[in-house]
Amino acid sequence: MIRAAAIRMLELMLVGFGVSVLTFLMIHLVPGDAAQLMLGGADATPERIAALRHTLGLDRSLVVQYGIWIGHVLQGDFGTSVWTGRPVLEEIAGRVPVTVELTCLSLLVALVFAVPAGCLMATMRRPGPDVMLRILTIAGVTVPSFWLGTMLLYGAGVLAPGVPMIGWVRFSDDPAGNLQRMILPTIALSLPVLTALSRVVRAAMLEALAQDYVRTARAKGISEGRVVFRHALRNALIPFTTTAGIMAGYLFGGSVVVEQVFALPGLGRLMVGAIAERNYPLIQAAILLATAVFVLVNFAVDLIYVAIDPRAREA
Amino acid sequence: MTRNPVLLLGAALVAAQAAAALAAPWLAPFDPNAQDILARLHAPDAIHWLGTDNFGRDTLARALYGYRTLFAIAATSVLAALAAGGTIGVLAAWRGGWADHVAMRLMDVLFAFPIILLAIGIIAVLGPGALSTAIAIGVVYTPIFARTLRGPALLLRETDYVAAARATGASDTRILLRHLLPNLTPVILVQASLSLSTAILVEASLSFLGLGTRPPTASLGRMLAESRNFLTFSPWPAVFSGLAILLAALGFNLLGDGLQDALDPRLRSRS
Amino acid sequence: MVTSSGRAAVYGTLLAGCLGLAPFGTPAIAQVLEIATDQSPVGLDPHVATAFSTALITSTVYEGLTAIDKDLRVVPSLAASWTVSPDGLVYTFKLRPGATFHNGRALTPQDVIANVERVRDPKTASPFASRFTGIKTMAATAADTLTLTLDAPSAPFLVQLASLFIVAPESAATLGRRPDGTGPFRFREWVPDTYILLEKQPGYWDKGLPYLDGLKFNIVPESSAREAGIAGGAYSLLPSLDGATAAALANRPGVKLMAAQDLAYSLIGVNASKPPFDKPEAREALNLAIDRAQLVQAAYYGHGVAGGPLSPALTEWALPVSDFPCYRPDPASAKQKLAAVGLTLPVKVTLNVLGSLQQVVDVAQVVQAQANKAGFDMQLNVQEQGRFVADWRASNFEAFASLNAGSPDPDDYFGRAFQSDGATNVFKYASPELDKLLIAARTEQNQATRKNLYDQAQRILACTGPAIDLAYGTLYTAVRSNVVGFEPIATRSLRTLRETKVAK
Repeated sequence: MIRAAAIRMLELMLVGFGVSVLTFLMIHLVPGDAAQLMLGGADATPERIAALRHTLGLDRSLVVQYGIWIGHVLQGDFGTSVWTGRPVLEEIAGRVPVTVELTCLSLLVALVFAVPAGCLMATMRRPGPDVMLRILTIAGVTVPSFWLGTMLLYGAGVLAPGVPMIGWVRFSDDPAGNLQRMILPTIALSLPVLTALSRVVRAAMLEALAQDYVRTARAKGISEGRVVFRHALRNALIPFTTTAGIMAGYLFGGSVVVEQVFALPGLGRLMVGAIAERNYPLIQAAILLATAVFVLVNFAVDLIYVAIDPRAREA
Repeated sequence: MTRNPVLLLGAALVAAQAAAALAAPWLAPFDPNAQDILARLHAPDAIHWLGTDNFGRDTLARALYGYRTLFAIAATSVLAALAAGGTIGVLAAWRGGWADHVAMRLMDVLFAFPIILLAIGIIAVLGPGALSTAIAIGVVYTPIFARTLRGPALLLRETDYVAAARATGASDTRILLRHLLPNLTPVILVQASLSLSTAILVEASLSFLGLGTRPPTASLGRMLAESRNFLTFSPWPAVFSGLAILLAALGFNLLGDGLQDALDPRLRSRS
Repeated sequence: MVTSSGRAAVYGTLLAGCLGLAPFGTPAIAQVLEIATDQSPVGLDPHVATAFSTALITSTVYEGLTAIDKDLRVVPSLAASWTVSPDGLVYTFKLRPGATFHNGRALTPQDVIANVERVRDPKTASPFASRFTGIKTMAATAADTLTLTLDAPSAPFLVQLASLFIVAPESAATLGRRPDGTGPFRFREWVPDTYILLEKQPGYWDKGLPYLDGLKFNIVPESSAREAGIAGGAYSLLPSLDGATAAALANRPGVKLMAAQDLAYSLIGVNASKPPFDKPEAREALNLAIDRAQLVQAAYYGHGVAGGPLSPALTEWALPVSDFPCYRPDPASAKQKLAAVGLTLPVKVTLNVLGSLQQVVDVAQVVQAQANKAGFDMQLNVQEQGRFVADWRASNFEAFASLNAGSPDPDDYFGRAFQSDGATNVFKYASPELDKLLIAARTEQNQATRKNLYDQAQRILACTGPAIDLAYGTLYTAVRSNVVGFEPIATRSLRTLRETKVAK
């Protein structure tokens, strides 16, 4: 187990290196450059542009720029934002809580509702409603979260016009207001995850409920509820965990568009804006960090998976 | 077939929408870019079955042409990803060893990025537009196909059947084409369907963020984004553009799910 | 073994952790006015950045010697009073007693001189440079008096001074990110893409002002979000609203809409040095193709008027559009004119569009549809702001669609944009007749004569000039009903925020 983990760590570092190179290349191949954009284009004389490029180090070869950047990164210095001069980490850190709150709340809502929903669906025996449910849950998974968000916003505007359902206030300033504004975005973002997870729970439950030991438990006279919860549910956790890990990727992508719909000052919006502004240090750091978190989450999920399921250790 | 209603429904949806997309020039009651400013923001009525947008353009026509763009981009990108990723995955499994390792690590690097981020980054390099979107989505989905096809390819490599073929001197290419490919078909079909479903959502998201096709070309994601500006005047363009995206993705998802049941009993979800 | 209670504990911790991550920010200021705006400013240096998003903020942080009030008249600002010599060449300004920079230092005439020099310096590359090249000498003739001598009389000079915001010269290097001026509000914090926070300047020269303790400019690009925000009370002021949002807020309880005629205008600019628009007939044809009334309906949601080269807000200067025959849409006539100068129909044109403003994108789509019915084959090239501005600056376009800020004085616009050597003449347009009119009008002291000259200029520019002016919107500002003392100004300046209060 330790050996497997160690090998995975090594592979992780290799992947990390690859990710950093790809991120760097991607951003530096973007046409137009920060210096010209910073000067607002209209006021940019060629001399001014050249001077600024030199200050930002944009006139050196790509390899050298990469080397300088990665050297700083490894020391924890992600550079300063081209626009505001503040350390990039500071700017990202300011936005992280918003995205984290949105994704955590969504994941939480999904987890909390998926389990009972999945169990309920598993106990549905008749084929007619079962197929309907299957189609409905697949539909739930495919609903575009930005559409759902827009519809919810419209509905809220019609049904409750004076109530603030949009924007962002800090939790520390106004906890109730913060949560109130999170209701709609969370619903929009969590629905696909919720339905996906409930399908996983349902499938695993069905498989578990058909096992011998469940029949034995029933024969022993243990109540149906206990059978379901204590025996079958445990086995549902394994595919549940792996799917949850996959959901992390979806949640991040989904949050980018949901943040757009609900004007939440999160990481997703920061990134979309930073690309338009050619804010190289910021966009590089944001992509690198977001990907690093994503990779680590998947790594953690892998470890949990191996820990839970003895069969996986053989693989 | 009736034992698999999901597959039926999925196939029907996909077929209907693909037909609508292909036949858009003949089906569309109006030119999608034709403006009729005096008829702007109408709710669905006898003339404009799905209503009009803020320029008086017919929503039904724009939706049909939007389907064209959506399907074209999704299909191109998934096909490209299948070709590229599939080749990489199968060849990696076939060669094994060092080549396999390097190839799969490269795929891991691509796979490490959250899908939207990588797509946004690629589009930022290439500039917004339909082609860039297709390339971006194609690149992003390549590792998925590589991984999905590598597994079965590895297993098939070890069968007696293949060993016998080798012993009789059949060339690698021949074995791959005649023996491997037919066996991989079920996996390919299922994965392609499911990938098409998510690719549609990704394309819609990118268009929504303003990174897809440029105005005034009809694009469902951008239609949805723009409709937010006049939501209180007329919610209909928002409703229908989003519904169209949902139905498109749903069709492929149901198809993939149904295929999974039909083609591979081991993967079947109990019902 | 994961028990159900164990799981609950994990969920609970997750939730607490997520919410607890929200940082406890900087201490709150007492009465802060929450403003929501659609764009992030790209730098805050008032001598360099001219975009609306910058001007909103700099108009509260900085002041010039003069200012423009809501009736578009010149009023004293940092110059408490002034005298002008009879020949119009010597201006003597008495500076405002008690005016200080945000760093605490008192304002001196030398500071003003340093500011003018900074704007004129080619290294600063200020778009305002050409406005002040006519200043021959500057001298501090007393501790609080500044004398400026001009090369030639300049009628718009006092108006132009209103756009010269006085910065603290010692802070010049960091002005892009950190303003330092003399205004009623001073810079506190900038969280990119989220908000810019300003706080009250304690030593402000106008005692008792400002009433508010702070201003928070929230960056909220989506109009539906801003709309929901002000309806629900999250925001108290939405400056420069587009027509759609204004219409949506029209009858909202708790929200007041204030209107002003905008100076800013949408336009199609063409390159007069390249085909097809090197021919005046082609320019006229494009004018004839456009139905401005419908454009106002579609792109301005009815909240605007067609306008010529000067905004209807300039009631002393602007000619009515009925004076311009080519403003009556006539696609057939347009086709005729194009064919008459030997152009093969349809005439292919690529229109560069400023993609960062939805209104401009909407305008462009309407113009495209209309032009394509009148003998043109117009393709849109929607660009992001940086690329658009770069192409605009380099005259790298056949035609472009944009939204320009107008000015209270006609010379400011005409002189820079249409005079053959004008600083912003990206159209590469040269008309000796127009040049003569503009040069004469600039030095003309007599109002009536000046008006006559500009009338002639407008007639030349309206139908055959390189700018096809489309419409002037109604500038709406939405405020919560409890906000008093705010007056919108057509220049989009927010300087009246100094007298704004929030009633309980």
